[in-house]
Amino acid sequence: MTAVGSPPSLDRARAVIRRGTALSLVALLGIAGVYVVALAFTPIEAHQGLAQKIFYIHVPAAWSALLAFSLVGIASVLYLWLEDPRLDLFAASSAEVGVAFSAVMLTTGPIWAKPIWGTWWTWDARLTLTLFLFFLFVGYLSLRTAVHDRHERARFSAVVGIMGMLLVPFVHLSVYLFRTLHPQPIVLKPSAPSLPWEMLRTLLLSVLMFTLLYLGLLTMRYGLGLAAEAREQRDA
Amino acid sequence: MPEPPVNGAYMIAAYVVAAVILLSYFGSLVRRAGKVRSEK
Repeated sequence: MTAVGSPPSLDRARAVIRRGTALSLVALLGIAGVYVVALAFTPIEAHQGLAQKIFYIHVPAAWSALLAFSLVGIASVLYLWLEDPRLDLFAASSAEVGVAFSAVMLTTGPIWAKPIWGTWWTWDARLTLTLFLFFLFVGYLSLRTAVHDRHERARFSAVVGIMGMLLVPFVHLSVYLFRTLHPQPIVLKPSAPSLPWEMLRTLLLSVLMFTLLYLGLLTMRYGLGLAAEAREQRDA
Repeated sequence: MPEPPVNGAYMIAAYVVAAVILLSYFGSLVRRAGKVRSEK
């Protein structure tokens, strides 16, 4: 991290990008390992068959997306308070990575729903709120490209980021608050996880690897933002 | 115990789609990083 107010150097940005790339590669290898464990060493669920194994990528992608969007909100609150540009860059980076994980969540979910529910999509509370959250952060990223003044851009997008964060608990609790087709949480709930150990182990491993990938991609994207700032300041 | 339903194609499709999205995004960051690396 650079000191507050000091311009980032291109060398510093390159070092951050290198660290992010290394972490992302380790995480991607870990996810390849998760694929092997899920497909070859995790039992087939009796009622849903092989389609249930989609759960081992859908749930960790959802976790990473909600983590990313929550951190956008926290960084945005801190930005409005401290006005440190690093917090704005962190929020922008986390939003972009969160949108990528949301794309995984929103495509693997319907692929699971078709054989299990008999339909690709239904407008129930969980699915609809998740889609709105995705659109909100696509809007957040569009807003950032539309506003050229960096202070205005940071302030406007911080407000949108906080709105997005406020949606996250509704997404998680929607299965309790509304009548919904979506399965209820089986790990993040008040009682103990209701999943056989072999399945829980695969899920936790996958959550760990997806979280590592989030951190790796976030670091890369943050480094690219530092490089863009260094370029702007050099050309100014 | 009932036989589990045969729906492996959906599982494969989901795993492939997830890999394509994540690798595409990683690839786009690597391309952007390449430009930063070659900058003077």
